[in-house]
Amino acid sequence: MSAYLAVSGVNKSFGGLQALHDTNFEITKGKITCLVGPNGAGKTTIFNVITGFLPPDTGGVTFQGRSLDGLTRQQIVHQGIARTFQNLRLFIDLTALDNVLAAIPGQAGETPWGAIFRPFHTAAVQTRMREQAREILDHVGLADRANDYVRNLSYGEQKLLCVARVLATGAELLLLDEPASGMSAGALDNIMALMRRLQTEGKTLLVVEHNTRVVQRIADEVLFLHQGHLMAQGTADEITSDPELAKIYFGGAI
Amino acid sequence: MDFWYTYIVLAEIYVLLGLSTNLLVGIVGIFSVSQAAVFGVGAYIVAAATMNDTLSFVPALLIASACGLALNVLVTLPSLRVSGDYFVVTSFGIQLLATAIFTNWTEGTGGANGLPGIPPPDIFGLAVTETRQFLVLSSVLLSLGCLAFWLAMRAPYGRLLRAIREDELAVAAAGKNILFAKVSAAALAGAFAGSAGGLYGSFLSFVDPSSFDLDASILLLTMVVVGGARTLTGSIIGPFVLLALPQLLALVDIPTTIAAASRQLIYGVLLIAFMLFRPQGLAGEKL
Ligand SMILES: Nc1ncnc2c1ncn2[C@@H]1O[C@H](COP(=O)(O)OP(=O)(O)O)[C@@H](O)[C@H]1O
Ligand SMILES: [Mg+2]
Repeated sequence: MSAYLAVSGVNKSFGGLQALHDTNFEITKGKITCLVGPNGAGKTTIFNVITGFLPPDTGGVTFQGRSLDGLTRQQIVHQGIARTFQNLRLFIDLTALDNVLAAIPGQAGETPWGAIFRPFHTAAVQTRMREQAREILDHVGLADRANDYVRNLSYGEQKLLCVARVLATGAELLLLDEPASGMSAGALDNIMALMRRLQTEGKTLLVVEHNTRVVQRIADEVLFLHQGHLMAQGTADEITSDPELAKIYFGGAI
Repeated sequence: MDFWYTYIVLAEIYVLLGLSTNLLVGIVGIFSVSQAAVFGVGAYIVAAATMNDTLSFVPALLIASACGLALNVLVTLPSLRVSGDYFVVTSFGIQLLATAIFTNWTEGTGGANGLPGIPPPDIFGLAVTETRQFLVLSSVLLSLGCLAFWLAMRAPYGRLLRAIREDELAVAAAGKNILFAKVSAAALAGAFAGSAGGLYGSFLSFVDPSSFDLDASILLLTMVVVGGARTLTGSIIGPFVLLALPQLLALVDIPTTIAAASRQLIYGVLLIAFMLFRPQGLAGEKL
């Protein structure tokens, strides 16, 4: 059986800096895989390569046996892979509901002629889409914030909204870039529960996470990235108990 | 009375043009300073076609609108490659180029002398000769324009454009086609500007390059800033307020030589004052 997602032999340099150095790994469908490693290890760069935001210098990515080479960002989302951003990138002048709606695919009235020449059809479909967007917000626990502008949401709520937005794309492989960083203890429990729930609903998650307690609680599998290279792969316990990795992680040595 | 009708008709034509500018600059965030060039092409097409009886007004206006659409797509294409500040410079160049063509292509545009004697619109045999009648025509077209703008903006399309202005990468991450959204917005804006141009020429029965130069483009931007970006109300208020200014200046008895200069001065001051103290304009959002 071929891997769900396979990253093979990916190299990526920015000028003289090699951010990804022969990176290889696979992830399994239905699991939560955590991607860990010190700052600058190349975790976000991997996300950018998988989702078509950056072309790899060499190597490639396959998803469900199909190569993603040369696909646009848009096509990759349609294949079923969606990502969040470490720096959120929410639409702050839109409401929470509109942020979610903006990510729902294939809506009537998304072209000027559809909007202008089929207004009633557009409005009818919008009513349904709104309902769907509300359900997604409800799912991440933001139902009561639907009509609030993003700038009025707390940081924790904004992070949940990022998850709502990837859910809206309908993708089944979700790449979450530090979804739990900067959150209070209570909010952490929320987002961990949410990730577990998404898993039981059939989503596969690749999550960048720094907090070892979070990793231990949610990860089925952990990938340890260092200087753009996969150093280790294993269960959370194996990775966190390895003194060598701990030294890299906390000492920032080498 | 005709004085008022003239003012309203001109303001309505500029509202149509303002919708175009607001769509491109306010909503999508493509900072174009060459909208007057597209306006001009529409005006010259209708002028040329109706003057030598090649076409009657309605098909000529449709063609002007289609050419505006195509041309605006073409001139906004660079904005998809170069970002923000660079595009302003590119767009500036496009506007200068257009003015040069309007002024020097004597056979087509009459050059600096312009094209006099454009016949009044003829709507399926019904000649629109009086200002009062023209007001009906421009009001009908403007209503259609406003309806189209309103429908487009309240639909998912409007949300998509707003999202793109805020964060293009995030829209791309949601799997949306940014290129298509921008190009189609440019197309819609171009169709508006082209038909506004056609109306303008037929109404004044005369066109010359001075109505379609850089000053005219800046005036359009001033209308969007003063009226307010991104709203229908703002797009309507801006032209009515700014076109009232020359009329008010005409009331105070100043020599015509100073009048033009003082108009520019007032527009300049308004632009700066609004940007500094009321960036959302009279009835809009922050540009
Ligand atoms: N677009 C870019 N241009 C230049 N350098 C980059 C770019 N993206 C990332 N880098 C560099 O690549 C390295 C890996 O970055 P990143 O993938 O963001 O690390 P992290 O594991 O912290 O997410 C860093 O040294 C970073 O400065
Ligand atoms: Mg990162």
